Amino acid sequence: MNGIIIGAVVGSPAFQPPGAVHPFHSPNARTLITERPALWRGPTVARLDYLCRLPVGWNGYRAGPVSFNVAHFALRLLDAVCGPETPAPSLVPGSSGDLQIEWHSQTIDIELHIIAPNVVQAWRETPETGEDGQEVPLTIDFTEVAQWIKTLAEPSSAPIETAA
Amino acid sequence: MGVQFDQPIGYQEIRAGEVWRLFSEAFPKVQEMPPLPPYFETFGPQASMINLTPITGAIHNRFWFVSSSGDELIQFQNDRILHNWRKVNSPNSEYPRFESIIEKFADEIIKLQSYFSSLHQQSLVVRQCEITYVNHIRYPNLADFSVSNWINFLHFTAPEPDDFLVTFRRTIKSHDGKPKGRLTCESATAIEPDGRKFVSLTLTARGIPDEPGAESALEFLKRGRDLIVNAFADVTTDSAHQFWERLE
Repeated sequence: MNGIIIGAVVGSPAFQPPGAVHPFHSPNARTLITERPALWRGPTVARLDYLCRLPVGWNGYRAGPVSFNVAHFALRLLDAVCGPETPAPSLVPGSSGDLQIEWHSQTIDIELHIIAPNVVQAWRETPETGEDGQEVPLTIDFTEVAQWIKTLAEPSSAPIETAA
Repeated sequence: MGVQFDQPIGYQEIRAGEVWRLFSEAFPKVQEMPPLPPYFETFGPQASMINLTPITGAIHNRFWFVSSSGDELIQFQNDRILHNWRKVNSPNSEYPRFESIIEKFADEIIKLQSYFSSLHQQSLVVRQCEITYVNHIRYPNLADFSVSNWINFLHFTAPEPDDFLVTFRRTIKSHDGKPKGRLTCESATAIEPDGRKFVSLTLTARGIPDEPGAESALEFLKRGRDLIVNAFADVTTDSAHQFWERLE
């Protein structure tokens, strides 16, 4: 069992098969939803929102906006791996609706290329990996990436500002 | 049951009528609905059940293509197709066998894939599959009702609560032990339009197919159905099973 929760909206209620009576229709039901406080989330959501609205040709050629589904998947990925203190990543649009999520520190670089939902190329470079870095193809399990991100908080890995 | 897929090249909402024509013989009625947002199961130490993704994009409709009797429908939008059965107030509305529903859904996916191929040389790229069973447990005798007689993970001390909502999730793993999705079980009190209370028990298996094609998606749905059937037997009590057998 992954966990148990009482009294919160979960999943996607719109997935309820039509005809199902949704429990929140109960006049007595009260639901409290609290977004988890996280440094990275606000700027990341705003940036994703912006990237989904890029005009066609934003790169001077014929690139379209970041795919709506890729943006949603990116946020679910980040929700799974980022703690409250994780710095906001840089989000770089690709030319095919894809997206690159990046963190750069003085000693560590992490890049997650979301080619499509469930298709992620994760790469990092640390003093241990050398210049070629370490590349891992991932689908929906980002436990390893969470470990990488933890190292960003180590004293030798102060994040550096990058243009998003 | 349903699948989420990559938005096909060449498809725009103005073509929704063409999609309806693929199914209109069996689903002659159409309703427009707001779109379902994308939903993805992801895994990591911070993974949460709460899905708040306030990202907006181009507005698309979701369409319900409804059968004449109203008990079956296809839900279609630019990145999703679902086939649902629901109980309606009709004497002929009988709970269908899973095999017949998945057979219909397979046919619908093939038709949709063929249609998208006619717009552009492409296949349906399925990113996630989902199958849900919604069970309504109606109180045979409200005065004596105790939810612990029906659902074995709920044991309230007397008196019974006025209402509740409980959810738990389990990881669905692939043969090599990697996460493939989740089985979600929700139970809650609910109220019918006529004011009668009941307990809903909703079981959902959601995850990624082994391959992004239709065949793998159908395999996931079959496996998901097996997981749901087993989970339903696990989370409901022996006395509930005996009661339902008596009803049958």
